[in-house]
Amino acid sequence: MNLDDELRAALRREDPSPGFAQRVVARAKSKPAPRSWFPKMMWATALAAMLVIGFGAMSEYRENQAERAGREAVLALRITAEKLNSARDKVIRREN
Amino acid sequence: MRRLFLLVLIAAGIAAQLPGQLLQLRITGLDGLAAKAKESVDITLDSNLLQMAGGFLAGNGKDKDGKDLKAVLAGLKAITVRSFEFNEAGQYRIEDLEPIRAQLRTPGWSKIVSSQKKDEISEIYTRIEQGKVVGFAIISAEPKELAVIAIEGSIDLNDLSKLGGLGVPAIAIPDQGKKGKKE
Amino acid sequence: MNAVSVETMTDDPERFEELVREHQAMVFSMACRYLRNRALAEEIAQDVFLQLYRKLPALESPEHVVHWLRWVTAHRLIDHSRQAKRRPQSPLEDVPEPAAADRLGSADPLLSDMLRDLVASLPENARVVMILRYQEDLDPMDIARALDMPIATVKSHLQRSLALLRDKLSRQKGVGK
Repeated sequence: MNLDDELRAALRREDPSPGFAQRVVARAKSKPAPRSWFPKMMWATALAAMLVIGFGAMSEYRENQAERAGREAVLALRITAEKLNSARDKVIRREN
Repeated sequence: MRRLFLLVLIAAGIAAQLPGQLLQLRITGLDGLAAKAKESVDITLDSNLLQMAGGFLAGNGKDKDGKDLKAVLAGLKAITVRSFEFNEAGQYRIEDLEPIRAQLRTPGWSKIVSSQKKDEISEIYTRIEQGKVVGFAIISAEPKELAVIAIEGSIDLNDLSKLGGLGVPAIAIPDQGKKGKKE
Repeated sequence: MNAVSVETMTDDPERFEELVREHQAMVFSMACRYLRNRALAEEIAQDVFLQLYRKLPALESPEHVVHWLRWVTAHRLIDHSRQAKRRPQSPLEDVPEPAAADRLGSADPLLSDMLRDLVASLPENARVVMILRYQEDLDPMDIARALDMPIATVKSHLQRSLALLRDKLSRQKGVGK
């Protein structure tokens, strides 16, 4: 057995259920998508635009640095909120 | 003379704790854990990077989530997160956290939440100056997970609840001396 | 890849639908292999394409659409995992030993199913690295670029994940090397 080949076979692409594309278009035309990902899309959009437009190396470095910092800041705050909730839950369980 | 010298040292130590001279929490003693962890997060953001992050995320100012996040970050001077997830227990000892916890026992820091079992610790500390939180630390130690978080600067934890759109969970923290409403 | 001009697609739903059909297998499969849940994978894939719809004017070529889709899908899946971290998940070591598979080579549905389960049990970053390697056939450099991850980390994830999978499979008597 060649594991690489088996993995390629196992992880081969497959299509979603029929009508997927039509459903996407219908949603796109009807209501806005969830806003929770909008800032991440801003980062993704800025990154792709930089690759195409070809800013100066220093400018691109600064943008990447800012984008990475933004992503890390959100992750740091998420972890902070999760651990706050976890600590609170433990105290409540102990009191009960 | 010697007594005078000691008094000067003590005064210098106290002066270092006065408002405006907040000592940043040094997260030490955890360096070898990343190699043992199946997942680890290592984030250090100083005021420059936080400012860049806020500016970048706020973008053209039309996105509410970006603006809310920028507002949260504006008051911060530094965020440090060290978080580890292990495949099995026993990859670190609670004693390894002592250098960090010792710093949090110094004047200025207050432990506002504490839950401790045999091999688990959950502690939340704040540093308050003139009625405002200017420092914040969390130690969350479980058999297969460890997280130490240090936030320096002015932060209202309730503002984190406005960031639900970015996937930041809503939080409920104990009131810090505020009178609650009676139902 | 169709050389369809991306910037005009938001004005033309039919062309956008064509773009979705062109890339739906890639996005859906990444999500499905990652989550092992078709319904949730479709939901996430839909959200990714809805975001693409809004961001298309900022993407200037079909190649960057592909790069953008992989980047967004990968990071969305990793973030989904982090948020769902508190749900009980079986680490790789807890996955039950696979049943003996008959030796039909690459046309072995049992083995394929087992490998999909094992990949889906990997830690978040390793999982997406393996999916990009074996589903999308990206080399480590492209994976590093797609995930904004050091190439050494990508290679480490690949080596450790393959070693884990081999170990799991080889414990079952009679299943290849």
